[in-house]
Amino acid sequence: MNEAEAILMGLRVWAMIGAVVAAVFLTVGMDRIDEDAQGAYIFRPLLIPGVLVIWPLVLWRWYVYESGREVWSRRYAPPRRAHFAVGLILPVGIAVIILTGLVLRQTWPADIAPVQLSTAQEVSQ
Amino acid sequence: MSDKNSPFFVGYLSAPQALRTFLMVICVVFVSGLAGLGLALGVAQDDPGDGAFRFDYGRQTVTGVLEMTPYPVVRVTEGNERIADGQTLMLSGQGKNSIMTRASPLEGQLVKVSGVILDRGDLEMLQLRGGRNGLSAVEGTAPQMQTEQLGRWRLAGEICDGKCLAGAMRPGRGIAHKACANLCLLGDIPPVFVTTQPVEGHEFLLITGPEGTALPPSAYHHVAQFISLEGDVERRGDLLVLKMDPATVEVVR
Amino acid sequence: MSVKYIPVQWNNNKYIYDVVMLAGVALFLYVFLYAAPGLLSHERPVNPQVHNARAFGACAFVMLTVILCIGPLARLDQRFLPLLYNRRHFGVMTVFVAITHASYILNWYFAFSSSDKFEALLFANTSYAQLGGFPFEVFGIFALTVLVILAATSHDFWMKFLTPPVWKRIHYLIYPAYLSVVAHVSLGILQDQQNHVFTVIFIGGAVAVGVLHLMAALHERRADAAIAARAAAWVDICDVSEMSDGFAKIRLLPSGERVAVYLNDGTLSAISNACAHQNGPLGEGRIIDCLVTCPWHGFQYDVTSGRSPAPFTEKVPTYNLRLDGTRVQVDPAANPPGTYVEPVAVPGHAQQEAPA
Repeated sequence: MNEAEAILMGLRVWAMIGAVVAAVFLTVGMDRIDEDAQGAYIFRPLLIPGVLVIWPLVLWRWYVYESGREVWSRRYAPPRRAHFAVGLILPVGIAVIILTGLVLRQTWPADIAPVQLSTAQEVSQ
Repeated sequence: MSDKNSPFFVGYLSAPQALRTFLMVICVVFVSGLAGLGLALGVAQDDPGDGAFRFDYGRQTVTGVLEMTPYPVVRVTEGNERIADGQTLMLSGQGKNSIMTRASPLEGQLVKVSGVILDRGDLEMLQLRGGRNGLSAVEGTAPQMQTEQLGRWRLAGEICDGKCLAGAMRPGRGIAHKACANLCLLGDIPPVFVTTQPVEGHEFLLITGPEGTALPPSAYHHVAQFISLEGDVERRGDLLVLKMDPATVEVVR
Repeated sequence: MSVKYIPVQWNNNKYIYDVVMLAGVALFLYVFLYAAPGLLSHERPVNPQVHNARAFGACAFVMLTVILCIGPLARLDQRFLPLLYNRRHFGVMTVFVAITHASYILNWYFAFSSSDKFEALLFANTSYAQLGGFPFEVFGIFALTVLVILAATSHDFWMKFLTPPVWKRIHYLIYPAYLSVVAHVSLGILQDQQNHVFTVIFIGGAVAVGVLHLMAALHERRADAAIAARAAAWVDICDVSEMSDGFAKIRLLPSGERVAVYLNDGTLSAISNACAHQNGPLGEGRIIDCLVTCPWHGFQYDVTSGRSPAPFTEKVPTYNLRLDGTRVQVDPAANPPGTYVEPVAVPGHAQQEAPA
């Protein structure tokens, strides 16, 4: 198996586990932890892609709810300070990446002429 | 922070009067702006060159001597109204598929090749039909073919896959197309070196590794980049073949 | 707002938002796909597959750029808040456009070989050790993966289930994704492009996103400095005369939490500034029909209890507060969400009947 096959196999395994988690969580799990979901079924298929991609997080959150480890104050602590980091990293990152791209850009070297370094006789010798 | 004078928008209520003109202007700017950007970006596309599949020529069938450079070419001995005797055609399979297993056993023999032409300037390639319909040995003795050595050269230009460059894809060269070109080369499509200025009248040269080997793996890293390199050039019919020296490759600054 | 979850909640403003958004996107694609070719004087046209891939790729970039400008614009000027309201649909649409771009590329450049096209995408170019000719496709793959994750977790259920802070952290992935898109373009088509109208539009868009985020961050930092409170058993908020009825004062508590103190019909109440839905800034909203209304998505709370009106079930923490002379002071320890706190009457402030 080459690296590309291994990566794709990994993705398939991830999605297969996700499918199992989705099947259990969307039929059994969510009714136990979210009263707003009880009796609501039509929206559930919409959640399948989400479970497929972040199923480990789904399992962790599910465990937190079931085990009563949920800390209510964390729900109201938005990561607002990250705004400032984003406000710096984004413009700097954009500038660095674009400048790299512009510096890398090559111009077709139309002025470089072919040079014959040796004749056929010399090559054959 | 919110104050008495600023209008307050609540999604499920109708928009405040004071905001409506502002929002209307934004809608108009957004829609017309996207249309304008679509136009500006759409017409900013570069000319992809004049290479093309020549389905308009119809199926071409000619006879010649099959040579492996190691990429298969056919030296035409019995052409038709489009393909003259003495021409050399690079050969490729369908898509990005190798024809090495079909071609190798016929090396040096007289063969009949059939398929569709791709051309771009003096670059010509024949995409073979499948199986024996595309390539088969014919009766007769293969005439001796001349290969003229043109010495060692230093050239500047770009390594491409000959098929996309010749018109299988437009655009068929450049960095954005590099992965596609690599995939073609992995499928034994003849690689082509585009020179900045003509060599002995030719802008396109079939490029191989040293001593008649396939393109070395290190060369794949330089596909689609503008590079200079050295190598021995030989003339096979109307086709130049460049046997590159991998140690001499330099990226042009 | 939840009660029972439904697939998509619609209202008039969302319809208008989506119609305008879809009209813009459809027009972009139509003009690029069908009007532009006639104006190009190429001897032979660009392959339709590449033309389509470019149209959808360019469209996805423009959409993502516009989406990312909305956040900082709304922080700099509240009139842009309506653009934030239904940004989710804009984002989900962007994913579909980006997937279309990716599939045209996959089914063209990576097709026709004897290998699986997904494998070919991963192994065709492995020049990871160099910048020129770098496999820029990986940046596109990363960005598309992120966009898929964000779209897949965009339903309100995910916000409640993951909690808004966790959900928000996941959705911060949009920033590395955008940088990745910029790298995808910079190391890809930008290397080949000879017509610099493209270069100008690309750089203009990306720079607009960068500059707006920087401006919003600086703006936010100034605002934070202005509302920061000193550590104390009771945190001083402001003089009661500075407050206006129906509006809040926000203070950044030493713990890092924000409290929104509202003057409502002559009485003072304090709740968390973080909305239970997406942690929107409740203190930047106002009281409508006796209910604090979030400026982002209009979620509402009773200011005395932090509870959404029935049948809704959202709750936010409340704070105890007192009047020290004319100074409004808050106990920095929040009460559990939905805890009723008797509002503090402001002496001499005429209490009026709320308008019907």
